Amino acid sequence: MAPFDPTTLGAVSAGLVALAFGFAFGFILERAGFGDSRKLAGQFYLNDMTVLKVMFTGIVVAMVLVFLSSSLHLLDFEKVWVNPTHLWPQFVGGLLLGVGFLIGGY
Amino acid sequence: MTRYTNSYVAGAALGIVLFLSYVLTGHGLGASGGIQRIAATGVKAVAPEHVDRTPQWAAIAGGDANPLNHWLVWAVVGVALGGLASGLLGKRVRIQTLAGPNVSRRTRWMMALIGGLLVGYAARMARGCTSGQALSGGAVLALGSWLFMFMVFAGGYAVAYPFRRFWN
Repeated sequence: MAPFDPTTLGAVSAGLVALAFGFAFGFILERAGFGDSRKLAGQFYLNDMTVLKVMFTGIVVAMVLVFLSSSLHLLDFEKVWVNPTHLWPQFVGGLLLGVGFLIGGY
Repeated sequence: MTRYTNSYVAGAALGIVLFLSYVLTGHGLGASGGIQRIAATGVKAVAPEHVDRTPQWAAIAGGDANPLNHWLVWAVVGVALGGLASGLLGKRVRIQTLAGPNVSRRTRWMMALIGGLLVGYAARMARGCTSGQALSGGAVLALGSWLFMFMVFAGGYAVAYPFRRFWN
């Protein structure tokens, strides 16, 4: 049952799987307009909502599919990596990252 | 130059790729972790003793460990290639400095440097960036990832006004 562990296929195969996912990720983000810092910064001046639309659509679609497949016993959620909670680092880190995002544009 | 894909269509495609990543690998997507590993290679080449003494570096590059031997590094290479492929297909690839209408090229590059330093530092503090924390952690309902995501928006909106001349 999923999730599968690509490292059982060997280091090179696991690397290629990661490369393929990275490729798809980068391809979609560029096609959505995330290559343009002005579009990304526009989110913070409310004149371009691309960031919000793409990110939250992505989160909601993935979330529904993950928990649906988990409740159908197609995906073992116990074996899925869930980011551990470290409230203060995530609070302060998020704030700083937001400031850096606005200044740097990415 | 071709128009960008509809945001909701792109978002749905992103969600499907993220879901497939969870199914086929057990984890989500990431970016800053790969950058950190590439940086670790440089630090290790210059100051290997420092790598062994610093817990965050030692964990990924200490002793005989090769920091590049990790899926995150492959993923970062993939992101760059995928972005390039999409840009070529859409005829958007050219050498240019994307800036607000009222800033010089020089200012824009300084902004990129300062912003990049902040983002890099913050991403390691939070153990992830908008990809590994907000997007991936958000989709599996990780509490800290949602806190992180809202703080990113809070931080950006908080400084948007003082920096308005940079972008408008």
